[in-house]
Amino acid sequence: MTKYLLKRLLHGVISIIFVVAIVMLLIYSLMDRDKIFSSDSAYSHQKNNAKIAYMYQKWEEYGYLDYVPYSDYMKSLMKSGDIDEATYKESVKLGKTAKQDKKIAKENAAKFKKYYESKGYTVERVDAITQRNRIADGGASLLFAYKNTPVTTRLFRYLTGIFKFDSVNTIEDIEGKRGLTFTWKDPAYGGDKFAPALMGNGTNHKYLIYVDNKFPFVHQNMLSLNLGLSYTVNQGVEITTTMTQSQGMTKSVMTTYPTGLQEESADDLHSAVYSAGSLVDNPINEARFTDNYTRVQLRRGGKSKLGYSFIIGIFDVIFAYLIGLPLGVLMARKKDKFIDKLGTVYIMFIIAIPSLAYIFLFKAIGGSLFHLPTQFDTKDEIWPMYILPIISLCLPAIAGLMKWMRRFMIDQMSADYVKFARSGGLSEKEIFSKHIMKNAAVPMCHDIPASVLGALTGAIITERVYGVPGVGDVLTQAIGKYDNGVIVGVTLFYAVLSVLALVLGDTLMSVVDPRISFSTKDR
Amino acid sequence: MEYNLDQFGMSKEELFAPVDHNDLESEKITAPRYSYWHSVFRVFFKKKINIFILALLGVIVLLAYLYPLFVDYDRYMNVLDASTKHLTPAKAIERFGFSIHWIMGTGGAGQSTWDSIWYGSRISISLAFVCALINMTIGVLFGAIWGFSKKVDVVMIEIYNIVANVPYLLVISVMVMIFSASFWTLVFAMTVTGWLAIAYFMRTQVLIIRDREYNLASKCLGTSSFKIAMKNILPFLTSIIMTVVATEIPSYISYEVFLSYIGMGMSDASLGRLIFEAESAMLTPGWQFEFWCPVAVASIITVVLYVAGQNLGDASDPRTHM
Repeated sequence: MTKYLLKRLLHGVISIIFVVAIVMLLIYSLMDRDKIFSSDSAYSHQKNNAKIAYMYQKWEEYGYLDYVPYSDYMKSLMKSGDIDEATYKESVKLGKTAKQDKKIAKENAAKFKKYYESKGYTVERVDAITQRNRIADGGASLLFAYKNTPVTTRLFRYLTGIFKFDSVNTIEDIEGKRGLTFTWKDPAYGGDKFAPALMGNGTNHKYLIYVDNKFPFVHQNMLSLNLGLSYTVNQGVEITTTMTQSQGMTKSVMTTYPTGLQEESADDLHSAVYSAGSLVDNPINEARFTDNYTRVQLRRGGKSKLGYSFIIGIFDVIFAYLIGLPLGVLMARKKDKFIDKLGTVYIMFIIAIPSLAYIFLFKAIGGSLFHLPTQFDTKDEIWPMYILPIISLCLPAIAGLMKWMRRFMIDQMSADYVKFARSGGLSEKEIFSKHIMKNAAVPMCHDIPASVLGALTGAIITERVYGVPGVGDVLTQAIGKYDNGVIVGVTLFYAVLSVLALVLGDTLMSVVDPRISFSTKDR
Repeated sequence: MEYNLDQFGMSKEELFAPVDHNDLESEKITAPRYSYWHSVFRVFFKKKINIFILALLGVIVLLAYLYPLFVDYDRYMNVLDASTKHLTPAKAIERFGFSIHWIMGTGGAGQSTWDSIWYGSRISISLAFVCALINMTIGVLFGAIWGFSKKVDVVMIEIYNIVANVPYLLVISVMVMIFSASFWTLVFAMTVTGWLAIAYFMRTQVLIIRDREYNLASKCLGTSSFKIAMKNILPFLTSIIMTVVATEIPSYISYEVFLSYIGMGMSDASLGRLIFEAESAMLTPGWQFEFWCPVAVASIITVVLYVAGQNLGDASDPRTHM
């Protein structure tokens, strides 16, 4: 069994890699890369040549190409000691056109061009844009080299970068001694409360393991999941953070900073991340921190995107199974009677009518007849606002479960063992509850893991209609804003869930029904 | 021994007479003629509700395909006249006088909701039928081969596992991004991977009946796999295929509505786009009618298509022909 499961999981991993490859191929090779700027406000504020430089910078940041501006090249020459500072300053000053360059700049520019062209880069020179004989705003001339990154390299980089391990050698330039310190009394709680914590110097996160009052109470920062960077959906924030970060108002509590300063603040010291040169000459940080681990996240109330979607989704699954299965059984028992026909009509309506139509119908009915809140309010959470989204997801799910439960029950009803049980004198009730239902429930079990994990993927229309800040909208938003990093990350997330759901479903089936076995040995 | 026939006193007609042997005649079956499709329609029309559904379907098709030919619909006909916008049917009739155009009121540009719905329906129904035709043809034929050949199965099941995990929404939106958001782009996007799900379903169905005795016998007699798939198995699955068609066609209409709603639909004024555009009217009291009309028509169309298809599927199952 274990061997079989491992094989299945390995298979799953391979197919996930293929899925990511296909998606990357679709969006990185078929789609115009200029489109990623379409909803970037910083881009539209750039002017003239600065716009070009900005584009290349962003493309490099999001993995499209390698981009080296001329000045960076010169700086690296200066650092390595090949040229002195005066030469550097003289040579980075480019003229309006290549012809107007001073002699030293011309020489170095030629050197730059030769060096990068030999490495397979494309070197481009953009002439200055002038306005009334003066260089226009952002119109300074550009010289840079770039090399497009092929999709295969991107895929490799992406896949190898998914798991990020935080070690003491992560940060290159570090003050003080590298190493880990373990304490029983976490200084973030004032230093006298019992709270074990593992802290590092040289790591990216200051706290590697810590304890707090939030589920699951013990947290770690050593291994993080890096699904990619968001561009426009959530500017510059990682996808995992986008989905798991709380979205409510900031919450201030009494915080003890490393310097001993006590203050009402929303800073979450456990999230401190290294930020080079952020301590010195920064009075705010100097008053609070003793090292460069100053970038902290704010403590927020409310739930994350994933949190909202999961709450709605999990209640939907629970209610759907609690209501759908008994109704399916009832329909099968009263086959061809009124109740069966009524159920069939209901199933037909749910299948045939566009989901948009009945979600709006539920919203209208729930809002006007029952006075339920029809819009989600993250600032002022009350439980009735969950009712309508859950109902909207639940009713179609019930129809699906009813349909299949009825189908499986009816298939079992004509089986030989049922006739045998009947001839043995068992009552209809006993036959149904003890024989038919047990057998019909086995295939129904297969979908339970898929439904539970499916709760994590959110629901697009329901969340939009009720204004739920859930995870269902992330993919559509990313597609609408051409945020390719998010598209890839979310697809990977969905693919992992669906592979996991299939394997878990098969496992659950073999647990529930001992006749089903996947290992060849048991057969 | 010789008999004189006259001695029995019978006329010539009453006597036995030798008959010529005729190969053609001897092959004739004298049982009542059974025609499959004849029986299908006999069973289908036995249910009175089917006649009603079919009549409704006829009306819908006529309204969607013929009605727009006879009316001159211009979306921006009243765009400059603010008093024509967002009218309820009663007010629209009061404003323009009674005519069929105004029985559903007017929309945000002062256009007739009734006319725009049928223009939109034509696009949506066409899309559903074209997609269903392409997906069903490729899906069913390929599914039959897939289920039949074990070699194809090994490869295809892996491909299916991969492609099924690529979000359908993503495929469609990337296609829409690359090409323009036109009718044929959407058709291409919906069919490029859409047939795989149908082929997979058909594969499972074929697997169930593949190893039945009559197929085994056929194989022993030397029939090729292709012929077994096409002639022995596909006819067996007619009613299942019909049932799939019945769920597929409305699902394309629903999907088009969904895509338009999230802003990824086509640029033509399809039903989904009408709903998308009227959604903002939903929030203004008194304007809801504008939103509910296209939604209701879309629902009626999908239900009618679904019921008609399901009942035809039931009727095409030979076990109901008794």
